[in-house]
Amino acid sequence: MSLTPSQWAALLPLLIPVFGACVIVIMSLDTDQATTKWIRGAMYGTALLAVAGSFWYLTDLWKAGSQPAFFQLHMDRLAQFTGIFVMVAAALTVLQSWDHFHQEGWVKGETLALLLFSAVGMMLFASTTHFVTLFLGLELFSIPLYALVGTVRARSESAEGGMKYFLTGAVASSCFLMGGVLIYGLSGTFDLAAAASILTVKGLALDPLVLVGAALMLLGFLFKVSAVPFHQWTPDAYEAAPHPIAGFMSVATKGVAFIALLRVFPGSFAPLGALGMKMQAVVAILAVATLVLGNLTALVQSNVKRMLAYSSISHAGYLLLGFVAGTPAAYTGVLFYLVIYLAMNMGAFGLLTAFGLVGEHTTFEDLRGLGWKRPAMGFAAAVFMLSLAGIPPLGGFYGKYMIFRELVGTGHVGLAILGVLASLVSAYYYLRLLVALFLQAPSAEAERLASDRPAVHAPLAGAAVLVCAVIVLAGGFLQYALVDGFAKRALVEGLGLLR
Amino acid sequence: MTGMDAILHGGLQGYLVVALLLFGLGLATVLLRRTLLLQFMGVELMLNAANVALLAFARFHGGDAQAMVFYLFIIAVAACEAAIGLALVIGLYRHRDTTDSDRATSLKQ
Repeated sequence: MSLTPSQWAALLPLLIPVFGACVIVIMSLDTDQATTKWIRGAMYGTALLAVAGSFWYLTDLWKAGSQPAFFQLHMDRLAQFTGIFVMVAAALTVLQSWDHFHQEGWVKGETLALLLFSAVGMMLFASTTHFVTLFLGLELFSIPLYALVGTVRARSESAEGGMKYFLTGAVASSCFLMGGVLIYGLSGTFDLAAAASILTVKGLALDPLVLVGAALMLLGFLFKVSAVPFHQWTPDAYEAAPHPIAGFMSVATKGVAFIALLRVFPGSFAPLGALGMKMQAVVAILAVATLVLGNLTALVQSNVKRMLAYSSISHAGYLLLGFVAGTPAAYTGVLFYLVIYLAMNMGAFGLLTAFGLVGEHTTFEDLRGLGWKRPAMGFAAAVFMLSLAGIPPLGGFYGKYMIFRELVGTGHVGLAILGVLASLVSAYYYLRLLVALFLQAPSAEAERLASDRPAVHAPLAGAAVLVCAVIVLAGGFLQYALVDGFAKRALVEGLGLLR
Repeated sequence: MTGMDAILHGGLQGYLVVALLLFGLGLATVLLRRTLLLQFMGVELMLNAANVALLAFARFHGGDAQAMVFYLFIIAVAACEAAIGLALVIGLYRHRDTTDSDRATSLKQ
């Protein structure tokens, strides 16, 4: 079978990381990987090259404005946007994991290979409306993540978090599959866009089986974005996972699931008007529950990673509010918010690595006074936390603002007020981290332990954190350029949602 | 035609009832049992319930080849999940000497 250049163009962004991952697997067969530095360097270099290659190819496609397709894989603007998003997240993760795994003393090549496979699955998941491809993408990015959460086998918490994530994730995937099969059964096609029009023509849009099928599919998406009540795995999985992997999961999984949700629910299922209304009502209720529960539980956490996990749950709530508003401008806001969220959350998890916190030592106590010792990291921490809380000149504020403005515009004033109140509550736990960093002196015992250990040396993680801080700051000042240049074009030309 | 005949000789509904029953049983196993291996079997049961429904629908739609191929993909995916899941169970067992999911509580606060 020979492929046309256009088909190659659609496939290459996925093939490059897959090839890199296969090379890394071969490299990591070397039993000396824990001892020989150049093998480790080569593995990380290969991973970065693979990510950069795919990133470069995607930006090239974006600049050329072409939207190639390989059968059901549509590399349209939205898919290219997702690909660039995932590749940036993967690159930041690779940089941070070099330092983190050296601190943990657990440098393994398979981690990188799994990360790359997962990134490929994410691109696949967000670039199709065909259910078979959608399901394969979902599993291709989920299965490596189950393994990544439990990757540091020496720690028993690691296997436990991985197991919890695996069991809940596998149930959610099965539900997603069952939902898709039911919709296929009644429509006779796997392409969700075609299925929606067939169901409308047949008058089956509100058939109970279609409703169950759509609800089960929605469950699969909501699980991946960790919306209440499918959020229980989040804090356990993030706490057990290595810091960079937790950051990657919080950012890339959530972002990709939101983009795929956007493609399927408002995109493909648009002809099923009545079903869309029902789904929107469900999403509104779950968004409120997610906001309230995520924010209130985050208040009482003593572990920074668990706090960040609940914070990521509450951010799923804000993003879901964008779906409740359901206007093109709101979806643009969601995409913009995802980009800023990528920078601030990757940065926040990167801080833990940059400060050299390993294993279980990720409580607020362990952070005390560190802001003064590493002023650049302290400044970056202030940027991330203020942006996560939605303080005006920073990027996080504009993302929330775009979503809330559309909520008010569509008459959901109550939800907008709830969102603003939730942001106010969230300021408490974000500022608590800054208070620990700057205003509390470290305990005498911590000082003694720190003087015994060698000084923390995490140049790559530090650089990644600073890059994130710059993106967050730039997002605050260039928000309209970013929105018009990227988010809106991805929606207009990729999804055809705005006309 | 009696109910048993419908299940054996082709009624789509019979297959669907079986599939949804299997799905419910699998979900109940995951939620109620407290042994990781049995919970894991519940997940496999849910995947296979979807397979039964998929094949029944495929026959109903005149032997849709796409669905048959998808069925093979699902089997492959289930095998991958089994590999990861069993590896995690073994990893946990080495640390805790148990596969009881109620005792895997070190991450709670």
